[in-house]
Amino acid sequence: MGVDPVAIVAAGVVTPIGENLDAFWAGLVTGRDGLSTIERFRVDDLRVGRGGEIKNVPLAAGERPPACRATALLLAAARDLLGRAALDAEPARIGVVVGTALGGVERLEQALDDKDHRPRLVAGALYDSPGHALARRLGSRGPELTVSTACASGATALGIAADLLRADRADLVIAGGFDGLCRFVMRGFDALRSLTRERVRPFDRRRSGLLLGEGAALVLMARDRDAQGPRLGRLLGHASTSDAAHIAAPHPDGRGLVSAVRGALAHAGVGPGDVDFVSAHGTGTPLNDRIETAALKTALGPRVGAIPVNSIKGALGHTMGAAATLEAIMCLLASRHGIVPPTLGYEEADPACDLDYVPRFARSVRTRVSVSTSLGFGGCNAALVLEGIA
Amino acid sequence: MSVARLEAVGVISGWGEGLGALPGEATRACAGQPSLMIKRPSLDGERFRRATRECLLGVAAVQAVLAKRGRSPRDIAGGSTALLYVTAAAYGASNRAFVEAAPTAGTLHFPYTAASAVPAEVAIEFQLTGPYVIFVGGATATIEALAHAAVLIERGECERALVLAVETFRECEDLHARTRWLLARPLVEAAACAWLEPGEGRLRVTDAPAASTLARHARRRAGETLACEPLIALALGLESGDDRLHVTGEWRGRRLGLEWTLPPRASSRMGAQV
Repeated sequence: MGVDPVAIVAAGVVTPIGENLDAFWAGLVTGRDGLSTIERFRVDDLRVGRGGEIKNVPLAAGERPPACRATALLLAAARDLLGRAALDAEPARIGVVVGTALGGVERLEQALDDKDHRPRLVAGALYDSPGHALARRLGSRGPELTVSTACASGATALGIAADLLRADRADLVIAGGFDGLCRFVMRGFDALRSLTRERVRPFDRRRSGLLLGEGAALVLMARDRDAQGPRLGRLLGHASTSDAAHIAAPHPDGRGLVSAVRGALAHAGVGPGDVDFVSAHGTGTPLNDRIETAALKTALGPRVGAIPVNSIKGALGHTMGAAATLEAIMCLLASRHGIVPPTLGYEEADPACDLDYVPRFARSVRTRVSVSTSLGFGGCNAALVLEGIA
Repeated sequence: MSVARLEAVGVISGWGEGLGALPGEATRACAGQPSLMIKRPSLDGERFRRATRECLLGVAAVQAVLAKRGRSPRDIAGGSTALLYVTAAAYGASNRAFVEAAPTAGTLHFPYTAASAVPAEVAIEFQLTGPYVIFVGGATATIEALAHAAVLIERGECERALVLAVETFRECEDLHARTRWLLARPLVEAAACAWLEPGEGRLRVTDAPAASTLARHARRRAGETLACEPLIALALGLESGDDRLHVTGEWRGRRLGLEWTLPPRASSRMGAQV
């Protein structure tokens, strides 16, 4: 027996391949490449200066862009979401749960250079500042939480949000993930030599690294029994686990990811045989993709070879805190449309990565139950089990 | 309402180890110092050579709660222990160091800038592979973490949960000085870890129109410890032997409460352990 499922009523996004949910989906299905030369800040001193940069963050009419990039992205995703669903609850019963790897760290760089010593820059550098700004903008007075399980944050946020609803701490929760591209993170991944100078090729034999991206993704969640009208689908289960192995690399056997997938399936009350589709973390680094493939085989058993597995990071780059929420939304849209987007960049099979990665073109497939996997620095692993509506 | 028992709380702070080190009045004892630092814990092992001070404080807080419970690291290793970590600001030091060390900072420094670095080192040290969540925020986030820990216990997803909070200030003292409206004074570095297990204790998150007596007591004695404050308040409550603990937490203009009713017999037993 699993826990009570939670309805995902609607979603809103801003991404490098589309500035709203419809454009995001169209971009995924048509194989749009959102990776380009970064223009918003200096990259000429880095080995790699490309990424999934959003060139124009949409604003409401007459709105001044927030000074904090991460906040701007989060508010843009919220506008897209609120154009699709109403917040029909008392402010005290509306919660906000967001996940981020970087928070407002770009504001720290600005604060350290700020000769005027403006307090607002320092407060903005705290990782929970963008989430707080979102709650203020929405006027919500319910639970307000920021989680930071690195690049698994967008999945952890959905899981925590579902638990708040199950515990009757809120009637509606806006949950998701975000992160902006900035010099801080580009310098870090550049130093780690994780960024590729070539195309991002998740699971491909020639894969040579990831590119970073930016974005924000939010969903409106409600208790299943309370959700009225149309919905995107349901979150059936979630688990977040620790590798306890290395500060920046996954466990060699993917033990934490195996445990997260098994935990999420148990939480959902479904078995490996019920899974129709897997949205993989699939960063395109040699190590991640090999370990993730092995972990999926262990967690889902021999049937995994017959399940389509994709990664959308070849199109968007690795959007860090936003990635897992974007991938969860993609799973639900795949069910709605009966189409699984391709793994952009995947062309040549690797013997160590021998699953069905949906190469080249979107595929017509009926999917109901999906598993979305995520990993992050600090040995963070998360898995979501989602049910879409065909 | 969730069901979980509070077994013990380990506390270290700029005042020293345990509640006994806390002064009666932090403001007076600080004598005008803006912040009170905890020295880098001396932990053995080559593995810790590169770990940041805040990572070691996290490890030391777990060691403190193990000592209170009279347990060994072996007792918590594995997938049946959940680790829930909370901080408002402890990543500031590593983030700043990375920014200011440019362009020389790199492979060794960047992974430690993540908020997940502290719980990662704790998880590695004690081999904690169970449920794992990292909350960012002040005292309200700690109350949410305690509530979530109780949910994990109640659902049988773990046999015990460690709620760990770490706050450091010294490396960013000049930045914190700009935000006096957000942070009270004196800023006192702290690391605290609460140990929760299945049991008869009942825990409920509430609105809190005013700060609770325990929260005021913790603030008065320890100073501003942000995410650590509710854990210090719980430790003080356990020490007092009360069977009904009411802690509150404030952060960014919000206040949350946590009411924890402990089984009377257990509460007096636990009180003796603090």
